[in-house]
Amino acid sequence: MFTSAQLHLAKVFLKIFLRNRQSIFFSMLFPLIFTGVFFFSGGPSDPIKLGLVNMSQSSIASQFSDLVIAEPSFNVTKGSLIELREELIIGDQTAIILIPEDFTFIEGSSQLSLILDASQVRQASSIQETLENSLLAIERDVRGIKPMFNLVVEDVQARPQRYIDFLLPGILAYMLMNLCIAGSGFNIVEYRRRGILKRLFVTPIQPKDFIVAIILSRMVIVLTQISVMLGLAIMLLDINVVGGLPSLYGMVILGTFIFLCIGFFLGSLAKTQEAIQPIVALTSFPQLILSGVFFPISSMHEFIQPIAHVLPLSVVVSGLRGITNDGMALLTLNSTTVGVGIWMGISFFVAIKYFVWKEVAN
Amino acid sequence: MLGPNGAGKTSTLEMLEGMNDIDGGSATINGLNVSQNSYEVKKIIGVQLQANEYFDRLNLIELLILFGKLYSQEIDPITLLEGVNLAEKANAKPEELSGGQKQRFSIACALVNNPKVLFLDEPTTGLDPQAKRNLWQLIRDLNSDGMTIVLTTHNMEEAEYLCDRIAIMDQGKIVAEDTPQNLILKYAPEPPQAALHGNIEDVFLALTGHELRD
Repeated sequence: MFTSAQLHLAKVFLKIFLRNRQSIFFSMLFPLIFTGVFFFSGGPSDPIKLGLVNMSQSSIASQFSDLVIAEPSFNVTKGSLIELREELIIGDQTAIILIPEDFTFIEGSSQLSLILDASQVRQASSIQETLENSLLAIERDVRGIKPMFNLVVEDVQARPQRYIDFLLPGILAYMLMNLCIAGSGFNIVEYRRRGILKRLFVTPIQPKDFIVAIILSRMVIVLTQISVMLGLAIMLLDINVVGGLPSLYGMVILGTFIFLCIGFFLGSLAKTQEAIQPIVALTSFPQLILSGVFFPISSMHEFIQPIAHVLPLSVVVSGLRGITNDGMALLTLNSTTVGVGIWMGISFFVAIKYFVWKEVAN
Repeated sequence: MLGPNGAGKTSTLEMLEGMNDIDGGSATINGLNVSQNSYEVKKIIGVQLQANEYFDRLNLIELLILFGKLYSQEIDPITLLEGVNLAEKANAKPEELSGGQKQRFSIACALVNNPKVLFLDEPTTGLDPQAKRNLWQLIRDLNSDGMTIVLTTHNMEEAEYLCDRIAIMDQGKIVAEDTPQNLILKYAPEPPQAALHGNIEDVFLALTGHELRD
């Protein structure tokens, strides 16, 4: 399957990587930090600091006040408007709720005020939503009625799905893309600049041999990195790979192949180290936005959807997501696996066809 | 191939090595047309480039084994290093070698496939006289063992000392090609006449007389 030159070259690349302690340290640190960020950012957020000014003596006001205080997403401080306003200005409070003197239960007449600092406006909607729910609860209580409707969110495939479950395959694919393009694109420009590729070119090896060798060696490195990240995700974030790890690893291998080949192509396109960076950025950032890493492609503008669906990162994201979330098997024949197959062909073809051994004049 | 900088020596060499397309004429090595069989040609030639850089973090032995593998050959790296007088540096990295040692190592890399033709591109540029002489001896030894060596240089002494045939290139064309002896016979100017006996003092005395002028 592989020639002895390809295997030996792959072993040499791996040896070079393993002898570079700094690169090992950072490549293992990267998935650790990555998962750590999700782990620590995924927990419950701090309660919103809320000042409460109750100017009313009515029982309704105190009932409402108690409900607001009991709300776990709020950290409520009671006090006078003047001192709370001071605290709001210096940032010790996020918002102030003002219960007016005439806060009584007369239909449509009671008005609450929410005083906000404009810089905290991001949290206004969640404060507003919680307040409205509290008011509704009081109103029902006072009127003595029970809620008529109850909204139960149920997943169509009867499995609990959190945002992290949606996000992780996307992030995994994006990380894969970055690791691979850096591993092939940047390396190849450097090897070419130093004349190492030229030296190889006067021996009877072909672009295919060189590319296959780098793919094999990077595959080992990338799979190790992904395993660290995945292991942590399974342990710390309680991620469940519905479709099974063999399929997931299979898809990671195919994705690695695609992105390494794209990296080779970009590395041949860029004549200098300075040029490779913007070229890589231009390739990866639009894909980060358009490939459904953070939100589904179907929520994008209809105009952009057909393009977004066929991007290489999109097919890998969709493949990984299909396996982790929907239990898709790697060998299933569907639009995603066909897309992966097509991108493998295209990327390998352009990587070999446009491979440049020599430093070329600008 | 002797010529001033920019004469086209390296370009010609790269065409022979199958690295550059041949845009006019044809080249044949060991009966193989280079344009049509560049892959086959690469198997029977050894190449030392002007700039020699290698993968980082590999020592000389590992690099030689790697080059051997690229020709699908198992090699004995120590014997090769002994041949270029570098056996004691076997575990060193190329960046730890001196200029002369680097050049000798690049020749060792070019020898892994026991080539029929060895191409050396300005092998002694930048070397001190000792290193240069040492490398010349190595090149002569390889040649006397039966290896054809094509080298480029702009050092006249080197060309005269090492080469059986010299092609003088200028502006992309070979302007003369022959053995060093024949080239000298054909193109060197008549030797200048032997200097006359005497010096300026004699001239002065002849013109002004020998008598004392007290």
